[in-house]
Amino acid sequence: MVKKMKKIISYLLIATLVMVSLIGCAGTAGSKAESVVKIAVAGPLTGDNSEYGIGFKNAVELMVEEWNERGGVLGKTIQVVVYDDKNSGEEAAAIAEKIVGDSDIVGVIGHFASGVSMVASPTYQENKMIEISPTASHPDYSSEGDYIFRNNSVISAEAEIGLDIAINNLGRTNIGILSIKTDWGSSTAGITKDLILANDKLNLVAQEEIIEGSDDYSAAVTKFVNAGADVIIVAGMYNTLAPFAKQYKQVNPDIALVGFSNAYSYQLIELGGEAVEGVTFPISFFSGSTDPEIQSYVQRYIEKYGSAPSALTSQAYDSAGILLQAIENAGTTDREKIKEELYRINYKGVTGDTFFNAIGDAQKTYVRATVKNGAFVKVE
Amino acid sequence: MIVQQIFNGLALGMSYALIAVGYSLVFGILRLINFSHGSVYAFGAHMVLMFVSMNLGLIPAIFLSILLTGLLGMLIDKTALQPLRKKKSIPIAGLITTIGISYIIQNMLMILFGSERKPFPALFDKGMINILSVQISSTQVFMMVVSILLLAIMTFVINKTKIGLAMRALSQNVKAAHLMGINVNFVVIFTFFLGGASAAIAGTLISGYYQIVYPTMGFVAGLKAFSAAVLGGIGVLHGAVIGGLIVGVSESLAAAFLGGTYRDAVSFIVLIIVLVLKPDGLFGKKGIMKV
Amino acid sequence: MKNILSQMLLPQFHKFYIAAIILTLIFLPLLGLSQYVLRIMIMIGIYAMLAMGLNMLTGYTGQVSLGHAAFYAIGAYVSALLATTLQLNFFIAMLAGVVVAAISSLLLALTTLRLTGTYLSIATLGYGEIIRMILLNWEPVTNGPLGVRNIPRPSFLGYELTLANNGIYYLMLVLLGIISLLCYLIINSKIGRAFIAIKEDELAAQFMGIKTTGYKVLAFVISASIAGAAGSFYAHMIRYIDPNTFTFDTSILMLSIVILGGMGTFRGMYVGAAILIAFPEALRFLAAYRFVVYGLILVLMMRFRPQGLLGWRSSNPYRLSKQVSEMLAQEGNREITLKPFEGKEEAVKG
Repeated sequence: MVKKMKKIISYLLIATLVMVSLIGCAGTAGSKAESVVKIAVAGPLTGDNSEYGIGFKNAVELMVEEWNERGGVLGKTIQVVVYDDKNSGEEAAAIAEKIVGDSDIVGVIGHFASGVSMVASPTYQENKMIEISPTASHPDYSSEGDYIFRNNSVISAEAEIGLDIAINNLGRTNIGILSIKTDWGSSTAGITKDLILANDKLNLVAQEEIIEGSDDYSAAVTKFVNAGADVIIVAGMYNTLAPFAKQYKQVNPDIALVGFSNAYSYQLIELGGEAVEGVTFPISFFSGSTDPEIQSYVQRYIEKYGSAPSALTSQAYDSAGILLQAIENAGTTDREKIKEELYRINYKGVTGDTFFNAIGDAQKTYVRATVKNGAFVKVE
Repeated sequence: MIVQQIFNGLALGMSYALIAVGYSLVFGILRLINFSHGSVYAFGAHMVLMFVSMNLGLIPAIFLSILLTGLLGMLIDKTALQPLRKKKSIPIAGLITTIGISYIIQNMLMILFGSERKPFPALFDKGMINILSVQISSTQVFMMVVSILLLAIMTFVINKTKIGLAMRALSQNVKAAHLMGINVNFVVIFTFFLGGASAAIAGTLISGYYQIVYPTMGFVAGLKAFSAAVLGGIGVLHGAVIGGLIVGVSESLAAAFLGGTYRDAVSFIVLIIVLVLKPDGLFGKKGIMKV
Repeated sequence: MKNILSQMLLPQFHKFYIAAIILTLIFLPLLGLSQYVLRIMIMIGIYAMLAMGLNMLTGYTGQVSLGHAAFYAIGAYVSALLATTLQLNFFIAMLAGVVVAAISSLLLALTTLRLTGTYLSIATLGYGEIIRMILLNWEPVTNGPLGVRNIPRPSFLGYELTLANNGIYYLMLVLLGIISLLCYLIINSKIGRAFIAIKEDELAAQFMGIKTTGYKVLAFVISASIAGAAGSFYAHMIRYIDPNTFTFDTSILMLSIVILGGMGTFRGMYVGAAILIAFPEALRFLAAYRFVVYGLILVLMMRFRPQGLLGWRSSNPYRLSKQVSEMLAQEGNREITLKPFEGKEEAVKG
């Protein structure tokens, strides 16, 4: 009898658990409030890549706060809805359904990884939801549809400037390429390689790929040293560039390193210390800029979150700004009209002047920055 | 270049060996694969970082971390594994439990410290040493010396002390050891303390070399160290070191000749080949696998 | 009151419960649930399939695999690549995915024949990582880190199945139904009894004349085929795959479902999948702790309830074959006592 009771209780308990879960999923659809405009942020807030997702959330909230102080958009208060995609495609797909199910949401800032964005983007496109990813870099991402945008640098433009830095700013021609094995790293390395091969003044001496997250670069360093590289173009985040620089400079202190804007983060200097001195990259956002707009943004960001914003975070900040500006220009929350506006916009933000081309890729202007005495400075 | 690559591999292998010793230690006594060892290693490194940030100085921070991580090892055994032994659960229950523990530790570290890579103070950095056109960093040499020292101490403890005798007795026959008046639980807990402490030492040295810490640092490194332990003959301490060096060198050569993205695959292939061809490993005693 | 409740759980009512649950599942989309809830239901279905597959190996045969994400990945990639490059129909592509997953598991099982227990688990872990490295590195075929995109949706007789027309949901139900039925038939056959014998005591099973090696390999192949089918369905549902989906975490999630639900039970797989997939959605404040929760589940279940949430003694009578029951009836002319099926309670025993 006792056993039976136990069994019944277990059944009931499980039934409740499942019910609660399902009801929780269904959630409250939310009454359609006319006085708010919602923007969704979707990125990895927990797990391995949470630093980037949290950066997205912080940046968008900061931008929205500024707009709300000025009276919101179209006279309505802006509300940020945050979703954690855990950097997983499965999650992102479910979140996309949730987002398109809420008719108050006008657009999504996210997701972080291209792979994750591309699982979600068909849902956005089908339901005419605007998606602006601040980071997606897969070459095919923005061709997924006309509602799919990215406010990330286009690799080929950035790679060209990266090479120019190697030749003209650093005066080196024997180039090695190190790239992380992700969609962005592989594409960047491929494009850079083609650019080098097309230029007979340049010499591609070695190319190496590594899995993101391996901390030992000695094998790659030895290969570069033996190949006689005098400059390495590193297609990796700060967490690859900093330790690589450290290990390389132990062997050859004269090596020059060129990075990409993805590595532009105060953590690069924190992790790399002296080894990242002289690392130079093209960036569209420069936190040390004298531009008062950028100054006040960086100031506000540090005040609120305690650390300086990275390039990727700033791209998220501008993405939110672009979306809000487009809503204002359109004069309506009709997403089709806002989308049209996005193709017309020329947004002056902290990551430079941004406008989208026909497939929804942002065109940017770059400045060059280098690390000097433990700080980022502009290269003139 | 090949000589340099082999030396790179030896240095890398030394770090695996340091972690592998902990696997071997616990396995030797309990026939249990302590999957949580990798995350305990990450825990040790994070503790050093935390104590350093509390301005305790590097050396006291390291010692505190070794102590605390040892205690974590004891806690793991006391709360999760001892009850399983009491219930005489199948060995696989122990493996699953330690996988669960490794998830708990790794993700708690992520929640408490953040997922990003954080700088770690350099240990004993005196630049590079040149030996016959081969370059080795002084930190690597330091690491090697400490590893050998650690190994010597462990071997001494196991072979020459009373508790070591008890450990060896346990590894042969738990029941008989118990009948001889050995306090089995105490010996096991002591082993876990040693395992945890060695993980903290490994964590400190390796993080000091790469000057990086992050919560998931123990996952891949732990798996490779485990391959190393199996290769050398799991349960045999010096085997773990040789195994570590072999895995390190093969990885380094794979990176040199196949490309950097193949190195992880190579150590797992080594693992499977060893498991299939010689499950007892290079130095393992026969009959470790019981029916 | 107590009596009514306990009466309701009698075995003869089980059929009604099962029928009621199936009917509810069939009519669920008609309630006008949002696509978001449907997607979660589909993910629960996929993980129930995966758990069902792993259960054949871990729950019934007692071999713990830590690399099942590899077979899930192989099913997904083979099917997706065939569908995108050769424009094969979903069902044919899926069949190919299942076959390749089965072959690869056969290779793994044959090479690791000598390994038992923990060693086998570690070998499967290594295998899982190797497969992921292949997916990442074999760029001409798998497209490396860029993944496979624009995977066509499944279509049935020229009719495209989408989330919006509930086609994907019903396809999931049908697949889950087929897989459940297959597993049920296998477990209640000679093969299934051999599996359980191997789990309970391999040596004894061998003495009873069971060719344990062959059956272990078979369990591997069945298990991997199911994972391959689930992977193929996943690829065509989600329409973009890359190597990041098929990590060790995925393998552990599958194992957690099997262990939480109860090794060697059927109902446990559905309930385990429902709880573990839905809880991070329902309890958002726990989302950051979800992997801690998975870890806790493994630890606590092993310690306190190794047979799983639903792994109590099954009240289903153990069905004897007609021949045997007739023989017994003739022999003593007495009522055959319906002894409960023993294997299920002590999923993990000393």
